[in-house]
Amino acid sequence: MNSSSRISESPVSNFLSSDFLNVFLEKRSWEPGWLVDFRKESWEKYLALPKERLKDENWRFSPRSRFGYSNFPELIKSGKESTLNCDDTSHVFFESLNQTILDSPSILSDLPNFAEPNLGSISNLLLCRTFAENGFVLKAPKQFHSNSIFKTTNFAPPNNMSKFQQNFIFLEPHSELTLLESYESEDNSSGLLSNTSNIFLSENSILNRVVIQKLNHESTFLHHENIELQKGSQLNNILVQLGSSQSRIESKGSILGEGSEFNNSSICLGIQKQLFDQRTIQHHSSPNSNSKLLFKNALLDEAKSVFSGMIKVDPDAQNTDAFQTNRNLLLSNEAEADSLPGLEILANEVKCSHGATTSKIDDQELFYLLSRGIPKRTSEKLVVLGFFDEVISKIKNDDLLDQLRNEISSHFDTKS
Amino acid sequence: MIKPSNIEIDREKGNFHYPTSSYAFDAGIGLSAEVVKYISEVKNEENWLLDYRLKALSIFEKKPMPTHWASKDLENIDFDVIRYYLAQGQQPSRTWDEVPDDIKETFERLGIPEQERKFLAGVEAQFDSEAAYSRIKEDLEKEGVIFVGPTEGLKDHPEIFRKWFGKVIPSSDNKFSALNSAVFSGGSFIYVPPGVKLAQPLQAYFRINAENFGQFERTLIIADEGSEITYMEGCTAPKFETSTLHSAVVELVALKGSKIQYITVQNWSNNVYNLVTKRAIAEENAEVRWIDCNIGSKLTMKYPGVVLKGRKSRGEVLSIALANDGQHQDTGAKMIHSASETSSNVIAKSISIGNGRSSYRGLVQIPGHLKNCKNNTECDALLINSESQTDTYPAIAVKGDDNSVQHEASVSKVSAEQIFYMQQRGLSEAEAMSMYVNGFVNDLIREFPMEYSVELKRLIDLEMEGSVG
Repeated sequence: MNSSSRISESPVSNFLSSDFLNVFLEKRSWEPGWLVDFRKESWEKYLALPKERLKDENWRFSPRSRFGYSNFPELIKSGKESTLNCDDTSHVFFESLNQTILDSPSILSDLPNFAEPNLGSISNLLLCRTFAENGFVLKAPKQFHSNSIFKTTNFAPPNNMSKFQQNFIFLEPHSELTLLESYESEDNSSGLLSNTSNIFLSENSILNRVVIQKLNHESTFLHHENIELQKGSQLNNILVQLGSSQSRIESKGSILGEGSEFNNSSICLGIQKQLFDQRTIQHHSSPNSNSKLLFKNALLDEAKSVFSGMIKVDPDAQNTDAFQTNRNLLLSNEAEADSLPGLEILANEVKCSHGATTSKIDDQELFYLLSRGIPKRTSEKLVVLGFFDEVISKIKNDDLLDQLRNEISSHFDTKS
Repeated sequence: MIKPSNIEIDREKGNFHYPTSSYAFDAGIGLSAEVVKYISEVKNEENWLLDYRLKALSIFEKKPMPTHWASKDLENIDFDVIRYYLAQGQQPSRTWDEVPDDIKETFERLGIPEQERKFLAGVEAQFDSEAAYSRIKEDLEKEGVIFVGPTEGLKDHPEIFRKWFGKVIPSSDNKFSALNSAVFSGGSFIYVPPGVKLAQPLQAYFRINAENFGQFERTLIIADEGSEITYMEGCTAPKFETSTLHSAVVELVALKGSKIQYITVQNWSNNVYNLVTKRAIAEENAEVRWIDCNIGSKLTMKYPGVVLKGRKSRGEVLSIALANDGQHQDTGAKMIHSASETSSNVIAKSISIGNGRSSYRGLVQIPGHLKNCKNNTECDALLINSESQTDTYPAIAVKGDDNSVQHEASVSKVSAEQIFYMQQRGLSEAEAMSMYVNGFVNDLIREFPMEYSVELKRLIDLEMEGSVG
């Protein structure tokens, strides 16, 4: 585990120095001018940020010092590139970020106009926009349908280095596909991966997305998602987090078109001193849409989770159905789960609710299993697997489902 | 052409304003160390209390406005134009005859006739800073119940009150508790001796009468072992052109096995900033209940809390908030569990009418070393019009595998089917709406004492007028 207490609050001077930026830009002189300008602008915005306030509501309950960059002052020089594969890429654009900038930069030309999902780490987002050298771009054309899974594996850097990554997912009208994003570490040493995923769903498109985070237990994972849903589109988002020493997820879903559907679910299994910080927002700007959020955390040892969710319904977003559920299962006396479920409702024709519960394993359930001769630890594992099943059983692919259940099971068995 | 004459409206309804020109003590406008010294001097306070006030003033000046989470509307409070102390120089009166006529008239307006009062156990009414009328039935005194103002309490009974004064809510708790600690005047200090169970509730009525006058009352209730007390406060203010500030601090101490029930009906006029800090400490087996109803004010920020300090103690907050045009009711509850086997319950219902906004803000905290703690929180919000707003911001921090917490919140609007059903039975749309809203809060209103629940229903009907159509 990271000796996190030593990490100081102040950002690292490397990322603040213009020499450092110039060396970086020099190395990437092959990029189009607008992208260089965008990187510079983002960096200037980063410099101009007001000093981080100690009491920021977006960081409530979160030991912010654990997310600092000071232990990771260097950018990785030649890290492992993201791998991409799929059986059926004939009509789909599926490339690494660098290849996209080289071959078809026009796909990204709207980048400067992308929204900034401000759920607390605007500084991470701006650093990502300045220094992103990795990531992937996926663009599905109109009417595209495929049964095969698009897979990408992305790597956190080794040896106390930082890595910034930007991903782009565009679905053109009436297309549908399934994407599996994995995040892993290159080796067993500690590193920081700061990741931004920009997701744009055009009219009536459907994205099924599974994100699996299994960084090593020394590393830091920072992850932003900015999702825009147009009319009639649908996102089924499933996030599975098993790895990292500390991870912070900021996920913003903006419902911009009528009749869209946003399903966001997540599970975290925390062991040892793992920290899972999750901030979400379901923002309804358009009427007649649904959003459903289900975040479940099971925590062992001294693990900690923070869930902060917000449902925002604008005055024009009548006939909205928005739900938010956070369930926490505490399996040890030192485990901690903090919940900040929130609602901001400005329309009256709505059905909105949130629920948050935190408790231990039901005594009767445990007794039932024990009385059948199953050891306590195994019984607890079975209950946890059952607890998570509500989320992961939404995954349609049986192989992936089996693989996930095995990974959860072996993570549970990790010696503390 | 005939010029249309102005429509005559009875503007007297809800006008509680009476001329005030004869204050004997007036600390002037604005806040400074001089004002604090003046208040302390007028009250003939001991040195430690003056020091306490001055220290609180410096804390107030240092603390920033909590606008990083609270409404930006707070920035509109101009502390320099507020009067911090006004009093007519009267001592608390003991009989109704001694109460000055103009104050009597105010009470008549409030709808508390003299006859009715005689049946009430004790009424302490605060007219601006000092208690204008205070009476305790003799049998209460015989039982050893102390029911006095803060000045009297700290002077005459220091052995009882000084020990707890400022301990439940330290002056540094927040900006407004610091302000109150610096300039407080008036309020109630109550001590109930061991085993004494008060059958009748004690009451206090607060009101603000002078323009730009902030009211800073201080309440401290100590229920000794095994005792029981119910305290009720109601608040009104006349309508003024400029905004006024009300910032109270209420501390409750429930010792072993005692029960305290604190009931508030807040109906300040719609330009009052109502920023109140209320907190209780519950010792072993004690029970504290906050019953809180907010109908008036421009902005209310109030989150009654219970620190569950003793084993098996219980805390409860029942809250009703009604936000009409231009109002923001920012209310909630805090439950701090710090002993095993404690339980807490929060039920909050809010109604937003017109462009009114109601918010629920809560905190539930259970540390890991505790066993068998339980919390239940329910917040329901009802939106009447399309521009009404509601927010919910709970915070729940739970550690350990032997505690359980559940939180639920829902937002809904008035069901068209139910309104239609009632209209079919011959009710007008407005009547049906009123009945629906009263039904929504009915299970909480039942918890209020009789005279309050009747008044509450009437107040809700009044607020609902003209909200349909």
